[in-house]
Amino acid sequence: MRPAIEPGDWLLVDPRVRRWPAPGSVVVFREPDTDELAIKRVAAGPGERVSFAEGYLVLGEDEAWLTADADSAVTAELGFGDPRDSRNYGPVPLELLVGRAWFRYAPLARLGPLRRR
Amino acid sequence: MSRLTRWLTPSTVVRAHCDLPCGVYDPEQARIEAESCYKIIEKYQANSDATFRTRAIAIKEERAELVKHHLDVLWHDYFKPEHLEKVPKLHDMFWNATKQVSKVKASTDLADAKKLLEQIDEIDAAWKATGGAEKTRVVKQTA
Repeated sequence: MRPAIEPGDWLLVDPRVRRWPAPGSVVVFREPDTDELAIKRVAAGPGERVSFAEGYLVLGEDEAWLTADADSAVTAELGFGDPRDSRNYGPVPLELLVGRAWFRYAPLARLGPLRRR
Repeated sequence: MSRLTRWLTPSTVVRAHCDLPCGVYDPEQARIEAESCYKIIEKYQANSDATFRTRAIAIKEERAELVKHHLDVLWHDYFKPEHLEKVPKLHDMFWNATKQVSKVKASTDLADAKKLLEQIDEIDAAWKATGGAEKTRVVKQTA
């Protein structure tokens, strides 16, 4: 999730969310295929369209499309493969949403709210 | 660590995963399993024992599944969009080869297995043309 979030950042997560926050928000959720806690950005919310090269997908009423900020070029530079996000595991249902990450309280040099994009 | 820092330290870790591929890709992996399919069909045809034939078919199915797996990994993980410029037929090649694997699974015709080997060789040529051998393999120590 560079550059928005760096490894080791300390974040506040609001667990009271009952719906997918607006696109651009950063969310913590359980990965559908591994059940591990993960953090990504909402690219599209319920009922919205996700475009592909030759068509589009309409998200269900409780689904969101979550993507990493970093693209393949950035992750390749760090020695990793492609980011794992909805492009691997598809739309994420609301029941896997844990909360909205909204504030970074450490390191102090980058203290402040996580901006929506 | 002060009590305050301890209190502030997050207790939950979340991750922003990326794939971590080993980066080694070679169509040879698929070819060896496809050769197994070819040879097992030869053995199947040369033997009329029912038990032998049943075992041969089970082994062929298992090997064919591995061919499909190796081709899928090569397709998804090694080949990148920029390779399409050099190999415009790339997606068709993989689509046809993986379809052919399904055919080999259900077939005891040697010609089907031979066609699969030829298709894998075409993919091998694409892998070489895009620098796969130099980029992904670890150089062998020569004796």
